Amino acid sequence: MKIMDRIESRERCAEAGWYAYDYLFDEQMKPEFIRRLHPLGNFVYLSMLAKPFFKVESDYFLIKGIEGDNFFRIAVHEAHQEVLEIIEEFIEGIV
Amino acid sequence: MIYLNQAATTYPKPQCVLEAHTASLYSGPVGQFRSSSTAKEPDIFEKCRCSLGTLFGIKEWKRIFFSSGATDSANAVIYGLPLSGKNVVITQTEHNSILRPLLNLREQVGSVTIVPCDSDGKVEPADIEAAISEETAAVFVNHCSNVTGMIQDIAGIGKITKKKGVILAVDVSQSAGCIPIEADLWGIDVLIFTGHKSLFGTQGTGGYYIKEGVEFRPYKYGGTGRDSRQLTYEKGDYEFEPGTQNTPGITALNAGAEYILRRGVERIAEKEQNLMKMLYQGLENIPGVRVYGNAMKNQGPVMSFTFSGLQSSDIAYILQNGYHITVRAGLHCAPLINNAMGTGKYGTVRVSISDMTQEKEIQSILSAMTEISAGGVIA
Repeated sequence: MKIMDRIESRERCAEAGWYAYDYLFDEQMKPEFIRRLHPLGNFVYLSMLAKPFFKVESDYFLIKGIEGDNFFRIAVHEAHQEVLEIIEEFIEGIV
Repeated sequence: MIYLNQAATTYPKPQCVLEAHTASLYSGPVGQFRSSSTAKEPDIFEKCRCSLGTLFGIKEWKRIFFSSGATDSANAVIYGLPLSGKNVVITQTEHNSILRPLLNLREQVGSVTIVPCDSDGKVEPADIEAAISEETAAVFVNHCSNVTGMIQDIAGIGKITKKKGVILAVDVSQSAGCIPIEADLWGIDVLIFTGHKSLFGTQGTGGYYIKEGVEFRPYKYGGTGRDSRQLTYEKGDYEFEPGTQNTPGITALNAGAEYILRRGVERIAEKEQNLMKMLYQGLENIPGVRVYGNAMKNQGPVMSFTFSGLQSSDIAYILQNGYHITVRAGLHCAPLINNAMGTGKYGTVRVSISDMTQEKEIQSILSAMTEISAGGVIA
């Protein structure tokens, strides 16, 4: 999956103490891509919903998105923004 | 989009508000005391003050002053009242627009006593009475909680503050325009409001009322267009609206207030309470949903819920991106009431409506939450 852009979230007070970014991709997120995120942390996937929701959570970051969208949101703790690079590398490695 | 975040800012606005705002921008600029226009009829500032006075039950409507919103008003009030070295009593339901000025303008305020609320957001007037001491100068109360929709007994609290001889300041940001307010009758000395919620004005409008006889000084000085030679206010003959006023905003605010007066605030309250009843009852029956309060006790147009297995921000994300339903998640700028509710860590999902909300929009969020509940959480 190719990351096209990283945009700082407009919803500043939604994740207090965290920085949120929306990542835009070159294609829609399919179930296979979403399941490949599982190793990153605690994984929740509501695949029964009409627009399935997923979430990956660790101590320092949180990823959430909707299957079929071409973007997801990452909230990262302000003291651990370096994990963004690791996540980006991981995502771009998913073919 | 289904917009159920009306407690933040109402959308859409009544047509008359859009037309008044647009017409104001098309018209030649007007300003208080600055033009040579005839005085055959009251200007828009007077008209708006009068409309708001009628809506709030304030006979001295000329003592309603405009500001950029409730936060601006609260700062003006907290700075302007004689609170230095004195105690101020507030409730656990207050918004940060009250909490932060009170807790940060330390030279202006001696101490702050916080009266607890129950998990639905109810504050007992007797607890406020017990918190008032010899040092107390003022009591600040949030009329309608922006988290649970609980409406406080302002008339009951007003009797207490009158008996104790302390100032009663009421924040009606969430109730103005959708819940009946009788400021004079209830013994309110200071009223704080915003224009962009149920009054249907634009963002950047609001104001406050200071009862005649309440000692008050301005926190902003500047040009007012009146008696330009006077540089200092030695006799306390203050002016409270320096700078060029937001004429299009005040014109829109007046249109919103007139819309409410024509429609009747009681009718608006009745319509909203019926929709909220449907919302409470629907959500209460969805597995995994925990509702805070109930339609009988919490009668404002805003309510909170949480969902087992997902954080409030997850639910808001799913509703927004999966169903195009806008709600709000988090602490809603009111951290203390969340502690009483047990939601201090992740906050709640807040659903809020206005007079423009339709029944089918309530049905949509209930259907969405039913589907989310049925979807289960796969970990």
